[in-house]
Amino acid sequence: MDIRIAVTGLGWVTPIGAGREEVWEGLLAGRSGFAPVESFDTRLFNSHLGAEVRGFHPEPFTRRQDPATLGRASLLAIAAARMALEDAGIEPGEDPSWKPERAGVAMGTTSGEPLEVEKLDDLLLAGESEKVGAEFISNYPCHQIATHVAREFGFAGVNVMIPAACAAGNYALGHALDTLRSGRADLMLAGGADAFSRITYTGFSRLGAIAPERCQPFDRNRKGMIPGEGAAVLVLEPLERARARGARIYAELAGYGLSCDAHHMTAAHPEGDGAARAMERALADAGARPEEVSYISAHGTGTPTNDRLEVLAVRRVFGEALPRIPMSSIKSMIGHTMGAASAIEAAVCALAVAGDLVPPTMNLEEPEEADLDFVPNTPRELPVRIAMNNAYAFGGNNASVIFRKVEN
Amino acid sequence: MSARPTVVVTGAGVLSPLGDSPEALHAALAEGRSGLKPIELFPVDGLGDGLKAGEIRPFEPRDYLGERNLRPIDRTSRLLLSAAQRALDESGWTPELRAGREIGLVLGTTFCSVKTISEFDRRNLQLGPSYASPFDFANSVINAAAGQAAIWHGLRGLNSTISAGEASGLLAISYAAQQIRSGRASALLAGGAEEICYESFLGHQRAGRLGASAPVPFDARRDGFALAEGAGLLVLEEGGEARARGAQVLAEVLGHGSAFDPDGTPEGAARALARAVRIALEDAGTGPEEIDALSAAANGSVTGDRAEAAAIAEVFGGRAGELPVTAVKSMLGEALGASGGFQAVALLGTLNTGILPGILGLERTEEGFPLTGASAATRQVAVRRALLTALGTDGHACAVVLGAAAGGS
Amino acid sequence: MSQDTAEIRDRIKQIIANVSGLDPKRIGDEARLRDELKLDSLSLLEIGVDVDLAYKLELPDERYKEIDSIPDMVSLVQGRLSEMRPQAV
Repeated sequence: MDIRIAVTGLGWVTPIGAGREEVWEGLLAGRSGFAPVESFDTRLFNSHLGAEVRGFHPEPFTRRQDPATLGRASLLAIAAARMALEDAGIEPGEDPSWKPERAGVAMGTTSGEPLEVEKLDDLLLAGESEKVGAEFISNYPCHQIATHVAREFGFAGVNVMIPAACAAGNYALGHALDTLRSGRADLMLAGGADAFSRITYTGFSRLGAIAPERCQPFDRNRKGMIPGEGAAVLVLEPLERARARGARIYAELAGYGLSCDAHHMTAAHPEGDGAARAMERALADAGARPEEVSYISAHGTGTPTNDRLEVLAVRRVFGEALPRIPMSSIKSMIGHTMGAASAIEAAVCALAVAGDLVPPTMNLEEPEEADLDFVPNTPRELPVRIAMNNAYAFGGNNASVIFRKVEN
Repeated sequence: MSARPTVVVTGAGVLSPLGDSPEALHAALAEGRSGLKPIELFPVDGLGDGLKAGEIRPFEPRDYLGERNLRPIDRTSRLLLSAAQRALDESGWTPELRAGREIGLVLGTTFCSVKTISEFDRRNLQLGPSYASPFDFANSVINAAAGQAAIWHGLRGLNSTISAGEASGLLAISYAAQQIRSGRASALLAGGAEEICYESFLGHQRAGRLGASAPVPFDARRDGFALAEGAGLLVLEEGGEARARGAQVLAEVLGHGSAFDPDGTPEGAARALARAVRIALEDAGTGPEEIDALSAAANGSVTGDRAEAAAIAEVFGGRAGELPVTAVKSMLGEALGASGGFQAVALLGTLNTGILPGILGLERTEEGFPLTGASAATRQVAVRRALLTALGTDGHACAVVLGAAAGGS
Repeated sequence: MSQDTAEIRDRIKQIIANVSGLDPKRIGDEARLRDELKLDSLSLLEIGVDVDLAYKLELPDERYKEIDSIPDMVSLVQGRLSEMRPQAV
């Protein structure tokens, strides 16, 4: 029997705001995080929309380290982590029983700190390589996101970055779950972070994946995804410890499953094979049956291909039960925040389970699948006993995570 | 240690500056050959004179991978795919077996390819976004190599990429062992891959991490490490299933542990590694007195090597001085994400032959250096249990206990 | 004119060969890119970029997505080159 693990805190910085209340209310209200890209010139691109985090000030959150020396994804991650710890009522170092070596960090990302390699490239192209300093190797490696979070709070346990691209948050959550279940930690911060960059934007634009005007997951007329940025961190600890210290428990992190398509670098398996296996494994790990799932937070990027194949995969797993299970995509509001996406969506699942409330899929005018419930345009109250969070990434990396309501 | 699944090693594959098979690598290390050569893979103007690195050249991927199209696959992925081919061949994981059963991959890497992402960006800046390369974009994500390997070799098991600097490789092996023990996987390639390139070299040099004259682990003259590249993978399987399919069992992963230094100090690093070692030993049900050899992470880093030695001294106490120690980076250089893979693959040779490579170039250690079992001489050591350690410049610490296959070495 | 066509066709085949690893001598003059040559979406994108770069055509992506065969690609290139060429007196 596995140790049961609880979500006791969450924090996030997203294109529609930061902090639990602001973002949750925004998602329920269908707030849009899309706007013309500001951080670089998109004149030469076919699309100009992005879901950037605007007006982010790292200083209130990054206190032990100098924010000027850290990359943007690290700053977003630290902010999310600090909010999460406050939300969980944990002050590292304050509690006399605090054991830093039993507290760890597992984070996910797609690109790490691409702005740092952009700075390098600007210098190299200008013939100014002599100006490249020590900061490149300090800031660029993606593992620094997890190390900077750990340094901020003095966490001395497990520390790892799992850069599983657009599914990375779920991978990090899974690893944190395993670490806690195996007794190697008493507390884990788990989540994902990614910063907006011309590299990522150019790449998706080059693939023809960016929607020119709207992000419409599961809509018949959907035209693509919209890149975004952000970070989310969940606080995870054994359920018994959470109860013993009187913590607020959002949900149990009940299980996860991974798979690999082994098919194509940027396109999913045409029969949703890998995605289905990840879901099945997550359910098995959580000891849940498909028909017991109350809500699915979809990967739902809004590209014609992803959404079609995703539906194929969920149909394979859920069969006739699917039409009764609401499935929404918050990428319709905050875009595709890359490595942060599944972490943000995981926090949504925890909130959905805690509050019996699920966010909508916005911009849904003509659902492509008439029999399915994508929670079009308005949030929904319903008992959410089990929520599933799905994520699919380049390289055929698939991951599903299950949250379950904790009965008191 | 009741009914926990065992994690055995059924094969290995390696592309390294000293050879492209576990046997060749171990033989070269045992002979005390250096894989560090003058740099030829990228222009070094303005970087300094007499620079050396552990480059893999010549490297002809077709020797390992046949005639399929390699254009969409960058150097890091080519190194990984080649090592994976060798590992799969050696362990009996034929294409037929892979079609019917799942084998996955856990890959440690720091950058995957900083060269690819940088070239993608530079081409965009010079020619405009319409002319950015779609292939390069697909290879710019840090899990690209793992994805390419899965596609090329039909690895339908779980596929995870682990980034923790120099500790990535051993952490990948730890992660894989954990996945097998928890029943999420029954067979996984595990290790690391990293390419050497101008961007990485420039960055490390500017940060003062590279040893200009003496990248010699533990030596009093040391002044930093020499960068290297390659790929090293173990084939890890659940013990019962490995034996059921008639696989050769080369070794066993007995335990693993990891920790982090949030203070960013040499003392903090030593504490973190000591903790990781203790966790690994406890996990293996092994006391320090039962460890027959140490494959150290030491790479010539002034503070890193010292911190590692201090950590070992703390855990091993009085025995620290007798413990036979090797540091393969004395000959292979520091291959970042691939290093843990190199250490593990090299150790298989030691378990098999009883030969522990010396630390090439080690002449004199500093005052008070506790690991007096470190020497330049290759020697005979009967190794039933070995400890492998990793200590990253940014604070990651990892330790793995590897044991000889049941039946002794 | 047929000299142009043959040259263009050969260059396109070479580009396809570079991207796909196929032997250019075994790419038929009428070859269909997806059905016969089995080129996937990423490869087709890369080929489009390389063709456009080779001839400096500056055509939008959508034009390349419509291309399904070698003859189509040759026509596309020739058509665009004519548009770009100053008119002969």
